[in-house]
Amino acid sequence: MKKILFFLLFSVTISGFSQTYFTRTGTTNFKASVTAFEPVEATNKSTTVILKTATGDLAAQLFMTAFQFRVALMQEHFNENYMDSNTHPKAVFRGKLADFNFLELGIKKEYNLFGTLTVKGVKKEINTTARVTLEGDKIIVSSKFTVAPQDFDIDIPNIVRKKIAENIHITLNYELVEKK
Amino acid sequence: MYYSKVKNRNRNYFLLACALLSVVSLKAQDDLMDELDDISEAKPSFELPAFKAMKIGNLQSTKIAAKGDLYLYVSHRFGSVKDGFETFFGLDNANTNIQLVYSFWDGIQLSASRESLNQTYASAIKVRLAKQSKTFPLNIVFYGTANVNAELEKDRMPDLQFGDRMSYAAQFLVSKRISDKFSFLMAPSYVRQNLQDLNEVGVANHNQFLMGFGGRMKVSKRVSINMDYAYNFNRNTNSFYNNPLTIGMDLETGGHVFQLLFSNAQSTNEPGFLSNAEGDWSNGIIFFGFNVVRVF
Repeated sequence: MKKILFFLLFSVTISGFSQTYFTRTGTTNFKASVTAFEPVEATNKSTTVILKTATGDLAAQLFMTAFQFRVALMQEHFNENYMDSNTHPKAVFRGKLADFNFLELGIKKEYNLFGTLTVKGVKKEINTTARVTLEGDKIIVSSKFTVAPQDFDIDIPNIVRKKIAENIHITLNYELVEKK
Repeated sequence: MYYSKVKNRNRNYFLLACALLSVVSLKAQDDLMDELDDISEAKPSFELPAFKAMKIGNLQSTKIAAKGDLYLYVSHRFGSVKDGFETFFGLDNANTNIQLVYSFWDGIQLSASRESLNQTYASAIKVRLAKQSKTFPLNIVFYGTANVNAELEKDRMPDLQFGDRMSYAAQFLVSKRISDKFSFLMAPSYVRQNLQDLNEVGVANHNQFLMGFGGRMKVSKRVSINMDYAYNFNRNTNSFYNNPLTIGMDLETGGHVFQLLFSNAQSTNEPGFLSNAEGDWSNGIIFFGFNVVRVF
């Protein structure tokens, strides 16, 4: 019994110290460009990300207004006409790195990443792979996946349909540091 | 007896440990999003712009080119619609204005243009003084322009000096986005005309004060109905000219805005249309026109 008690207390302690890694300056990029037309792409360099190393739970959120476009007018149209950023200011992701083990980070680099992405209040299941590496005291998480505008009820008018790609490529690169 | 007591105590510890463990794991599950929210830094909220283009129709709006954005403005004002088929409703007599707009610094826009009416060269500056947000209710912008009439001929007017070619306008543009769809603007304005034709204006009034009004009603995400008007306080009753009224429509298509409009003014420059609107809505002398706005 004493052994069980010791074990339980020990595991409580472990969960109590479950480590959190995070960043406020994660880079999320999307490309919806069509060859021969003006590039439609933007980068968000203030994505907040949090990772629980004990479980592989991962969550991220970003503000739509922080996506920087090359042309400021395109940015205004993105927020005003497509994303309705005044009513839906942010996008969030809640997911998990499957079979994540902090101690195996040096050996295993590719993990399945799955979860729910919510944009404009519409949820979509995402299933992709992520590359996770340990560099010094940082955990680097990078991944790519593809979504379509209609997944999130984003209406593309006929007049610009040819200029916006049907599949939008999202790439992310997050350098997480331990939260103390 | 003693032994069983210890056992009992152990059971209590066991339950406590279970409870603690479940609390901790619950916390990890559901509070991840809260924790994320806690560490996330809020970004300024997105404020819908009051107007889509730099002009409502003829009157300047409170929109200013964003830093580094280059805009090309091509405007046409055709002849009187009343001419009918003789000029194909005015299409044969077009006034064309080509304007470049650029912003080197955030909130300051510079522009240069050339209009075929009176061969007018114009330059203008637009400076943002305040922006509507959750903490401030209005957009306030200063606009100033100087125009050169290059058509006046020295051969016909031997006393003509360079200053006689000049006209100026200065405006405070005050707008408010009242709802997501409706925006309203007021523009107290001053116009200086250095040279006036007394046959046209009746009594000379080189300095003129006006109050401009403008509005926009969005009918869909990319289409809006616009209107602007200016009341001139110094116009002589014998003047040939009228107060400018413009009714138009914005069609926004990504990098372009098309502004289709009807106006009783043929000039697209402020000293031109504020002082010298030659048409008259009451007897049907109005001009069809458009502005095409392209961003680079």
